[in-house]
Amino acid sequence: MNQASFVPQHPPALPPVPVAFSGNRGDFFRLAARGAALELVTVGFYRFWLVTDIRRHLWSHTVVDGDAAEYTGRAKELLIGFLFALAILVPIYLAYFLISVEAERYKAFASFPLVVGFYAFGQFAIYRARRYRLTRTVWRGVRFWMDGSGWAYAWRAMLWGLLAFLTIGLALPWREAALERYKMRHSYYGDLQGSFEGSGWELFKRCWWLWLLSPLAIVLFPLAPFFYAEFKAREWRWWLSGIRFGGVSLESALPRTAFYGLYWKLIGWFMLLSTAMGIFIAVLGFLLTKMTGADLADSATPVTLSQSLPLVIVGAIGYLALILSLNVVMRLYLQRDVWARVSETTQLHGIEAAANVAARGDPASALGEGFADGLDVAGF
Amino acid sequence: MDSVAADAAMAGPGAGPAIYFDGLSSRRQAVVVTFKEQLEISGEGLSPVALSPVSLAPVSWAYSDIRRVDGGPGILRVACLSAPSLARLEIRDAALATELVSRCTQLGESHLGGRGVAKIVGWSLAATISIVAVVLFAIPLVADRLAPLVPESFERRLGDAADLQVKTIFGDRICNDPAGKAAFSKLVDTLRKSVDLDINVESSVLSTPIPNAFALPGGRVYLLNGLLAKADNPDEIAGVLAHELGHLKHRDSVREMIYNGGTSFLIGLLFGDVTGSSAVIFASRSLVTSSYSRDAEQNADSFAIDVMEKLGRSPKPMGELLFRVTGKEGNKALSILASHPLTEDRLKRMSDADRPAGGQPLLTATEWAALKSICGSGAKT
Repeated sequence: MNQASFVPQHPPALPPVPVAFSGNRGDFFRLAARGAALELVTVGFYRFWLVTDIRRHLWSHTVVDGDAAEYTGRAKELLIGFLFALAILVPIYLAYFLISVEAERYKAFASFPLVVGFYAFGQFAIYRARRYRLTRTVWRGVRFWMDGSGWAYAWRAMLWGLLAFLTIGLALPWREAALERYKMRHSYYGDLQGSFEGSGWELFKRCWWLWLLSPLAIVLFPLAPFFYAEFKAREWRWWLSGIRFGGVSLESALPRTAFYGLYWKLIGWFMLLSTAMGIFIAVLGFLLTKMTGADLADSATPVTLSQSLPLVIVGAIGYLALILSLNVVMRLYLQRDVWARVSETTQLHGIEAAANVAARGDPASALGEGFADGLDVAGF
Repeated sequence: MDSVAADAAMAGPGAGPAIYFDGLSSRRQAVVVTFKEQLEISGEGLSPVALSPVSLAPVSWAYSDIRRVDGGPGILRVACLSAPSLARLEIRDAALATELVSRCTQLGESHLGGRGVAKIVGWSLAATISIVAVVLFAIPLVADRLAPLVPESFERRLGDAADLQVKTIFGDRICNDPAGKAAFSKLVDTLRKSVDLDINVESSVLSTPIPNAFALPGGRVYLLNGLLAKADNPDEIAGVLAHELGHLKHRDSVREMIYNGGTSFLIGLLFGDVTGSSAVIFASRSLVTSSYSRDAEQNADSFAIDVMEKLGRSPKPMGELLFRVTGKEGNKALSILASHPLTEDRLKRMSDADRPAGGQPLLTATEWAALKSICGSGAKT
């Protein structure tokens, strides 16, 4: 690999350039495990550092045309963005409360539409958070960046969402395409403007039968992971293949079965860990009642057992351990493995268009990430 | 590897090939770095790998300004504080990288060291302690101070809003027997008058088997038929209603709203993202808020005892009714988790305050019978 990097990169660069992911799975596991433990110790505050470390790991091991990308965001930015978002959200929540009281007085449950307002705000946060991540992405000494308006995006997302709701999901592919077009149109690599060429119809053609079969998955629930994995793979492939930056175009060859194994392994781990947790609680609870038997002997019915203090504590410890390990498992499969699989099956055409791109754009603030954190929304 | 090492050797000691991005364009420039006073980066000269079509004006970076940034595996990628912020130099030859690392005094760690982690842990602990202190001490204080400041009109609005929800949920189950309603109004109004509450809002009995009663801000009282069915005399019901009115008089609903709102907002937002932690948050919150409401319950009981004495009736029947509903509670649940004091303790308090009834009975026997059958001949509970 080292040698190849020194070979001239002159044209003709006609064959497509593959994207490579060189990250070591063990490294990522250690990163996630350590991060989860620290998240527990710091009651969640470490999440800013963990998220940053994960992104740095993923970005710096993603190699495009011989050069690894770089994530320049830092955890402190996220922390500050979060604190600012908190300061803005407090009065909003208060106003929300007062308005909802007035609305409820007018008519019972009339405050429900206010939830829609929060949904819009969530969409805004998604857009701004994407902007933060993109402006922290650097390749060959030039950053990606984004303009456009978070509110314009939220507005589009709402209208398309309404349409999707009215058509029981049929309009979702078009919604996705329209929103992606907006995002990509406002994304840049240096002075190369992005665009999105995937169409809603294309996504619809690939996924409509999944939409039709989805009620079946409710009845035959073991089918659900297959459906979801299949849908995700098709969606990723459609999305990546539609991305353009100037003359550079992406093409994904992600097999439609790419995620089957992932989701099943994830479910397997969930069941294994939950069972282990159940056994742990049962054994410890049994031992504890043996030891403190005198206290409980007179009222040892199942109801009272579940309410005894030592068991509550043991249960809490077990619960936290379970959450921690599930966290690690989810990050490993859903973030690292998905990332690796998706990037390894992606190719770039016309990379020569990116050979001499002038740097433009400034880093955006992390406020959007803060909102997204405070509102518990996530998106790409 | 061999050929790269050979290149470095050819370039002479203290120099070697590298890749340079100037931070102004994405042009990938093969350069030679030379270790002099400063790190010199030049695109022309000795290196056989100088490929860049445009020759690079020599750049020099001070060793003390060079910082490590994330590169791929096996690549040393550095930036320079005095250069454009995204200018990058990449060295792929291990020997050359070692040489550069040894010269740069402030290269920095690419990842957080033990000390940085300790700092985060320390600050998080401090933040946690401060939040816990705020939840335990500051928010109750704020709630106590703020509750009297909330205008009564606003409280009445809250009551109206809650009433609409009650009506939406129980709309068709409001008991309508006229004689029973008259008796109920008489009882409620006697109580409300004695504690100076608005007697113009309507109160009702709801037909549901749940044995409970509640009062909404503004003075509306709802009695659930389940409780009425278990009651043996008007004093029992009067005591329970007086207890609920006590909550209103103490403005517990407003206080609790401020308290619960503040606590859940703080805890929920700050500890946000640890997947599944909401259960832990909920548990810890219910511990705190239940102990808070236990105080409020105790005060409402005292209030009920006072009211009953003022009306010349004994508070003991109320305790007996509660005991009849819940049974003996000790040992059954963790008392620390319970929202109300244990029923036997409440019964004991009310029995202690027992005295022979001196005042007028609150309802006549006929009125009491009418109230008992307000939801239709007592068959439905």
